Amino acid sequence: MVYKAGDGHIPSGLCIVEILNVLYRDILKYDPKNPKWEGRDYFILSKGHGSDGFYVILEKYGFLTQKDLDTFTKYDSKLGGLADRTKVPGVEAAGGSLGHGFPVSLGMSLGLRIQGKSNRVFVLIGDAECNEGAVWETVLLAAHHRLGRLYCIVDDNKSSSQILEMGSISEKFRAFGWNAYDVDGHNEEALLDVFKKLPNEAYGKPTAIIAHTIKGKGAKMLEGHGVWHSKAPNTEEYAQIMEQLED
Amino acid sequence: MKNQFARTMYEVGQVNPKLVVVVGDLCHWAMQPFAKACPGRYYNTGVTEAATIGLGAGLSAVGLIPVVHLIAPFMVERSFEFIKLDFSYNEFPGNLVSAGSSFDYSFLGATHHTYTDYATLKTLPKTQLIYPAAPQEFDLLFRQTYNNDFLTYFRLPQTEHGVSIDKNKIKVGTGIKIKDGEDITIVATGSQLKSAVESAETLKKMDYDPEIIYIHTLKPLDTKLITSSAEKTKKIITMEEHSIIGGLYADVLEAVKEIPGVKVSPIAIPADFLRGYGGYEDHCKALGLTAEGIVKKVKTDFRRKK
Repeated sequence: MVYKAGDGHIPSGLCIVEILNVLYRDILKYDPKNPKWEGRDYFILSKGHGSDGFYVILEKYGFLTQKDLDTFTKYDSKLGGLADRTKVPGVEAAGGSLGHGFPVSLGMSLGLRIQGKSNRVFVLIGDAECNEGAVWETVLLAAHHRLGRLYCIVDDNKSSSQILEMGSISEKFRAFGWNAYDVDGHNEEALLDVFKKLPNEAYGKPTAIIAHTIKGKGAKMLEGHGVWHSKAPNTEEYAQIMEQLED
Repeated sequence: MKNQFARTMYEVGQVNPKLVVVVGDLCHWAMQPFAKACPGRYYNTGVTEAATIGLGAGLSAVGLIPVVHLIAPFMVERSFEFIKLDFSYNEFPGNLVSAGSSFDYSFLGATHHTYTDYATLKTLPKTQLIYPAAPQEFDLLFRQTYNNDFLTYFRLPQTEHGVSIDKNKIKVGTGIKIKDGEDITIVATGSQLKSAVESAETLKKMDYDPEIIYIHTLKPLDTKLITSSAEKTKKIITMEEHSIIGGLYADVLEAVKEIPGVKVSPIAIPADFLRGYGGYEDHCKALGLTAEGIVKKVKTDFRRKK
């Protein structure tokens, strides 16, 4: 998809695919034929730069087609480098301008509870996104209002540590009054265990799941925090990546 | 205005169970009747302005009608990207109600001023900008618009214009002709309607018969009313407690650009920080936002040929 488009953020997408796969396979309630179904759980990719990974999952679970994926970032495509909720079925809110999807998810969770609904709201943010002040405003508000059905997954691929050391993100969430679990973000069984035991009450501590991941996981040449953050492969590199992914 | 905001929320909230009010630690005590009458639909989010705007957008996303009430500079300037993306780009409608715009917090100085709120917000698609300067106007205009598909910004001033207006004339997007006139048009918005009305008598003595137009809706602007008056008088003075950049003056200039021979002269806030303190009236006096300021403007910019 990124190879064809000549643009994208492959490592940011690769580090969240197991998380998204478990969520969409086993946890979230949704109807891809009716993405606005009132009974759905909400998922918001606040860390919008993982959109290529997100689109692949949306295709796998019936929201998009392979044909859609083939148009990624083309002028007329519904799929941009960052997702537009007015164009992409299954996308609830814009992400990628960091620190936005999380407060919107806070409002969604509060609004659902106000209406007596039990839909759950999952939001995925990045560890570098946790540099944003709005993230901690949101953490404070969610704990104060005891949003027991708001779940914040932090893709902790150690991006922030390149610049600002975050320390223990789970400890920070706990200090703000949240439940917090640490988990291997590439281990689907471990992720499933955590997601299955999430509390589910209208009033209670919100829950953070700190998913420890490796940026670019799956293809050795992409892993880490180097030039591949926003680079599209040439033909030779594409072949190498595909070979490593198949391994 | 604060009490009217609380009263209108109290009344509309009981009629429409989707209305949810979120304040950033202002108007908290006045909102208690709403909080009691509409349990679970009132939140005070303290000083978390950016997240509060996002929260409001999230309420809208799940089908509620948010009313977010914050101090103007922190709502519009600090949180602008949250308004732009979380509400506007996502196409979630809602209501933003500010207090303390312009130099209302005169004694605190420029950290608490905002002179460019409607210049900023009018750039966003599907927005409405409303500046009611009387309690009745806020009540009527809010009821007309709060539940539509727009993101609507209400700028509530601390000072009312004090001019009696027939409630049947108060309609969103419609300017109000306060006084017919023949040879000069004063287009005033917000509290400055008072200065415009007060200036009429002195102008009459100077042999001018001013037409006075009141604008409570900046977007959509009633350009028809403004251009029809401009065609008649060819002379316009705009009055606003807003920056000269991107405010009423700019919009009136744009509206009359095709009419030959029209001169538009602004009384507004210059493109600078107001570094004085004092009270609201002190700033109005310094900026010429008074009846005397209008008279002076007429003398300097519209001197009659002998």
